[in-house]
Amino acid sequence: MPEMPPATLLAALDGYNLLPAIVFLPTRRRCDQAASEAALTRRDPNDSRREARRDFMRAFVEQHPEVRGHRHWDTIIRGGVASHHAGHIPAWKLVIEKLMSAGLLDAIFATATVAAGVDFPARSVVLTGADARTGSGWRSLSASEMQQMTGRAGRRGRDNVGFVIAAPGQHQDPQRIAQLLKAPPDPLVSQFRATYTTLLNLLDAYGSFVSVREIAERSFAYRDFARQIAQLERSRSESEEKIHTTLKEAACDIPMSAVLGLERLLGIRARLQEAKPQTRAEVFHRWLNEVVKPGRVVGIGRSGRRLVMVTEKRDGNIRGFREDGRHASFPQERIGRVYAPVFRLKEEEIERAFDEIRERGRDLTLPEPRLRDADAEETDALKIIDDSIENLLPQNSNQQHCTDVIWQLHTTAEDYERASRRIEALREEVWLPFEQRARVLAIFGYLDYEAEKVTERGRWLADLHMDRPLLVGEALEARLFNSLEPKQLAGIMAALTADEDRDYGELELDDNVVTSLARFEDIGFKVSAEEWKHGLEPTPELNFSAAGAAVRWAGGMHWSDIVRETRAEEGDLFRMFSRTGEALLQIAGLRRSHPEAANMAAAVAEMVLREPIR
Amino acid sequence: MRRNTRKNWDKHRPRRRRAPEKSDRQRDHEANERAKHIVSPSRETKRLLEGIGTPRKTPFKADPFQLEALASLEYEDVLVTAPTGSGKTWIAREKIRRLLDSGRRAWYTSPLKALTNSKYQEFVDEFGVDKVGILTGDRKENSDAPLLVGTTEIYRNQLFDSLRGGIEVSADLVVLDEAHYLADEERGHVWEEAIILTPPRIRLLLLSATIGNAHEFALWLEEIRGVRCGVITGPLKRPVPLRSAALLPDKRLLPLMDDNGRLNSEILQMIERDRER
Repeated sequence: MPEMPPATLLAALDGYNLLPAIVFLPTRRRCDQAASEAALTRRDPNDSRREARRDFMRAFVEQHPEVRGHRHWDTIIRGGVASHHAGHIPAWKLVIEKLMSAGLLDAIFATATVAAGVDFPARSVVLTGADARTGSGWRSLSASEMQQMTGRAGRRGRDNVGFVIAAPGQHQDPQRIAQLLKAPPDPLVSQFRATYTTLLNLLDAYGSFVSVREIAERSFAYRDFARQIAQLERSRSESEEKIHTTLKEAACDIPMSAVLGLERLLGIRARLQEAKPQTRAEVFHRWLNEVVKPGRVVGIGRSGRRLVMVTEKRDGNIRGFREDGRHASFPQERIGRVYAPVFRLKEEEIERAFDEIRERGRDLTLPEPRLRDADAEETDALKIIDDSIENLLPQNSNQQHCTDVIWQLHTTAEDYERASRRIEALREEVWLPFEQRARVLAIFGYLDYEAEKVTERGRWLADLHMDRPLLVGEALEARLFNSLEPKQLAGIMAALTADEDRDYGELELDDNVVTSLARFEDIGFKVSAEEWKHGLEPTPELNFSAAGAAVRWAGGMHWSDIVRETRAEEGDLFRMFSRTGEALLQIAGLRRSHPEAANMAAAVAEMVLREPIR
Repeated sequence: MRRNTRKNWDKHRPRRRRAPEKSDRQRDHEANERAKHIVSPSRETKRLLEGIGTPRKTPFKADPFQLEALASLEYEDVLVTAPTGSGKTWIAREKIRRLLDSGRRAWYTSPLKALTNSKYQEFVDEFGVDKVGILTGDRKENSDAPLLVGTTEIYRNQLFDSLRGGIEVSADLVVLDEAHYLADEERGHVWEEAIILTPPRIRLLLLSATIGNAHEFALWLEEIRGVRCGVITGPLKRPVPLRSAALLPDKRLLPLMDDNGRLNSEILQMIERDRER
């Protein structure tokens, strides 16, 4: 079912007296379009409400000048409709929420993110689909999301009844909407995880890994594990019991360890024949070492969509050019695809190389190695295992029937071993990520692993409450920020805190910033390389385009100019600058350990956190 | 001509808002008038829309669940799960009022900066600007006030600081608003850390959307804090009842479900016809 034109939808709702309504749409762009379209074709017939909206917004502008002249201003005044999503700045969202509360709007077109957090109810909530948009496609709405949305239907004291309405849309499914409305709420699921900040603070507070582990084991996640462990222990003793009695009843003089030993050997045998994920990663890593070289084009990320021409390779770090001609550098692990041709590293060659890969990439992709090819000695190993299995089985002729018993017990032994392994894994699951991080911190000198102590530099790092503190800590230690102008520091921090993939315009960067960003990236590689070695996910790339925007903003550029030049959505810019400012304030807090950088950060934070960001 | 005069006059007119109730009711009437011209609703549709409109103004009366939560807070931690708009904040506000009146202190955390700012404003209006402080990543005002409003991250960081020998968190009550953020993939761990590290002497009030495992969650709180935790489930009935409907491409409005909670058969048939095509 195609979506109804927004004006038609509103007219129908109006006919049934179902306005004001919140209409949920899948994307920001659709919200903006729907609001403008609706405003073009409908005109609020009520003069006094139009006037009231105008008055209201003029009064609002006096406190929030940043919304003056907003491109959707007329849409609201004339049409009495608005769009509301994360692409707008908070002040704009606020005026819309207030207009709605004052009863001056007929409809808000919103993305589902609105449902969380902000509170502006309406008489009706309109769902144009049963799916939600994700970064890469569609997924079904959850019961909780449905509840958040229907929670907006019916204004207390202003409505006798609230309505949730399934309207036509491409991803509409009334059956599923009905199911979701009846579904019990989703359970709360723990997202407890290890971070450098948590580890450093807890270790500094409690003074031993055991205590930090105890804290981690008080998490809601571990409570669930503890229950699973108890359950597994029960089923493990049941298996043990069964093995014992079976052997006894058959009068077999075979120890329990032989039964379990057989299971283990069979397990190893099976694993040898199948590729295990860890070993596959290892093989992939070795393969990348071999095939990635200057002149080759590689695809980054699992999808391999972003192409880079490799120009240099050092310590597992890759440098090269992107298709847009910008420099790129990243750890080798980020490569998801390698193309066969080796091109000459000449400027005119590079463009041709990308064209060729774009055109015939599918045929030119180097096949990834499969584990089978890597294991020539597999056959020998299998033979040794088979011999051992033979040796485990009873040799004595009057014990022949026991061979059958052992084979019969195989599945029980498997249950026993599986439970044991699972118990071990669960016990480690919460703690292991902390241990991995502790080792990485120890390598960089923030923590003494043997003494289980936070070092002097670890103490100030513990105070740096931000994403990727280790990277910033290393940059501070390398005195990277000292050679910068204040506004350039804003650029560096923006590159760090911005979402990796978001585009904030391709504004030019001066050499000093580019050099510093390159050095910052180098530090990032060193950190990532250690993290990867210790089984931690490599950190995201720096976002150069965020740096360009932030340097200008910190340099005093006007808000409307920065919005125009970056062509980014206001809400995205707002969040990026706001996070940059917060990160700068964190550095500004390190007055004792890094006075120079702290002073500079404090000064530039003022520039970043100016209207409308604050 | 007329518009022009009005515009000029407008500039000098004192700003005022129109009373929303009045315009609302007026609009209800107008819409009813228009409905006659646009579609002629079936009996089913009429029943679906029965009672739509604006209720008479009634004085605020606390819901039993709100009073129960308030009473429980006298002697135990409390987890309130209720849908948005059903009055969870009222509980927090009343409890905070009592604490402030007796010279005690409270911390109110919320997940988003925008929410923190609006809560701060709300509490300033309620308790006076001297009584309230705000702490976010980029805003720090009146941080010694008896009532602090801030993001959960900042509260958690204060707990870290106090554990490492800094200043004690001097609150008698900590309110975690939107406590279901604990399940947020990015930031949920901060809520868990805040809960685990809050000293048991501090009373906890958790305000959450409806969740499927409220009792299990409360049991966990009891286990790690050694303090009893009551679960208060919001009103069984929504403050404003909810009805579901489907708007069809031909602009008919039908109930989404029949009286037995099954998908309306007419909609079902329509979907099937759609599939065949």
